[in-house]
Amino acid sequence: MNNYSHFQVKDWLDDQAFQRWVYHGEQDAFWKEIIQNHPGQQANVDQARELLLAIRGELDALPDSEVKLRVNEILNAVPDEKLCVLPWWRSNWLKMAAMLLLALGIVIALFKGRENLQSLQTFVAGLSEGDKPGLMEIHNQTHAIQLVNLPDGSSVILKKQARISYPAAFAADRREVTLRGEAFFEVVKNPEQPFFVYAGSMVTKVRGTSFSIKANDDEEDVELVVKTGVVEVSALKEGGKSEASAGKKLILKPNEQVTFNRKSLNMITKTVQKPVLLNLPAESQNFEFKRTPLAEVFAGLEKTYGIRIQFDPRAIAHCTLTAKLGDEPVHEKLDLICAVVNARYETRGSTVTIASEGCE
Amino acid sequence: MKNSERSSETYLITRWRQFCAGDKSAFGELTELNYAALYHYGTRFTPDRDLIKDCLQDLFLEIWEKRETLSYIAAIKPYLFQSLRNNLIRRIRRQSVFSDIRDDDVQDDISPESDWIIQETDQLTSHRLKRAIDALPKRQKEALYLKYYENLSYEEIATVMGLQRQAVANYLQYGIQKLREYWQHATIFLALCSEIVWH
Repeated sequence: MNNYSHFQVKDWLDDQAFQRWVYHGEQDAFWKEIIQNHPGQQANVDQARELLLAIRGELDALPDSEVKLRVNEILNAVPDEKLCVLPWWRSNWLKMAAMLLLALGIVIALFKGRENLQSLQTFVAGLSEGDKPGLMEIHNQTHAIQLVNLPDGSSVILKKQARISYPAAFAADRREVTLRGEAFFEVVKNPEQPFFVYAGSMVTKVRGTSFSIKANDDEEDVELVVKTGVVEVSALKEGGKSEASAGKKLILKPNEQVTFNRKSLNMITKTVQKPVLLNLPAESQNFEFKRTPLAEVFAGLEKTYGIRIQFDPRAIAHCTLTAKLGDEPVHEKLDLICAVVNARYETRGSTVTIASEGCE
Repeated sequence: MKNSERSSETYLITRWRQFCAGDKSAFGELTELNYAALYHYGTRFTPDRDLIKDCLQDLFLEIWEKRETLSYIAAIKPYLFQSLRNNLIRRIRRQSVFSDIRDDDVQDDISPESDWIIQETDQLTSHRLKRAIDALPKRQKEALYLKYYENLSYEEIATVMGLQRQAVANYLQYGIQKLREYWQHATIFLALCSEIVWH
């Protein structure tokens, strides 16, 4: 802890945590208390604050959606690795005509409205009340994969026989779920509310990422591999879940895999070529679409998430999608797609119904 | 907080290496993570937003093209900032935000209405500071921005701006000193004004 009572203006200026408070409002309560407890520093703090703000000057509002759009433009402008050699019969005018048509499609798609978003309702299939009140448990007793949408919008793809339990509403400061079996996670980014997965005696803490866990009851090892983002793994303390933060921690990055032994609590890490642990399509999918017909996009989503997407093939016959979707949960992907092609969607059970006005 | 910063630093380096090896999703993520900071930095040089977006697109496409030669880079952010700066400066034909005092600021009245002073005391100091910072030489302003808002080290700022470390230190010291003098004057001026109002 710094001794703030002897701080000069220069010290405040150079204090990085103070800078973050001034610029990004981080740890607001902490800093308000510090200032309250050091009334003699008020003038210095005011001066430092004003100076920092003047140094920053005014910044444009730049929403995440705009950044995503620009990034997509950049990715689309990246030339494809493999240049296809065109067969002799595809003459130049055909290519030109096709390109014009595609360009037209994109322009139309972009100019159509971006509203009409509908949030996806939580799936209720296979839902049953757990032991504790408000605790949901889903057990995938089907022979296929099953998608679970958590209350925060995160997606979990359960393999057969896997089960997950979670509260009907997450606590304000943390999201906690318990897993048995094999599953792939796509977690909504929210640094304020870290996401915990308890599997075997392994605790996984993430802020917003995608990863796979294999925690079968009959196996001694629990395995995890990261697709995107950062994942923190530690052993569950005997005292209970809340003390999970103590003890040895491992930070894993994309393509890193950990094998966690339930008994010895040993953790072994290795780097893998591809973050595939469960042989799920979602693990290797990168969802990069370039003028892809919408029907194809939907087919991909159906396969990845084990859901059914109903749509009128005639209505979307002319719709194409150019976008890079990453580790967003399924409903965020649907939001994005529907915004681009001017459609709405509704969810009932594991069936999504798309209503589109077409892209002509 | 510090821990998460550090882990995000190693995270970026891992992703950078993957990008250099041709991983397009790592490239997309790095682009997304750095886009906003670079964009805001770009606004320091020109009011032309389209030019900034153009330069950013060029910048990222360029690093994708030469990704295989970039694996030696350990300090990603300074590298990107430096590249954007060079690209932008090469293309800027107009007056930059960092360069001169704008006309509309020069004509500001020193003796404002008294009731306005009472209501807008805070805004007045901010406003005067804004004038002070606008009056600083553009490179000082830029060094201050990189040091305080972007938290770059002296060495990193020197790399980005193509200066000696000592020059950066001088700019920063002189810039802060100027701003603080301005603050003091503004505060005394305000105190005097409110005296006059109250009597």
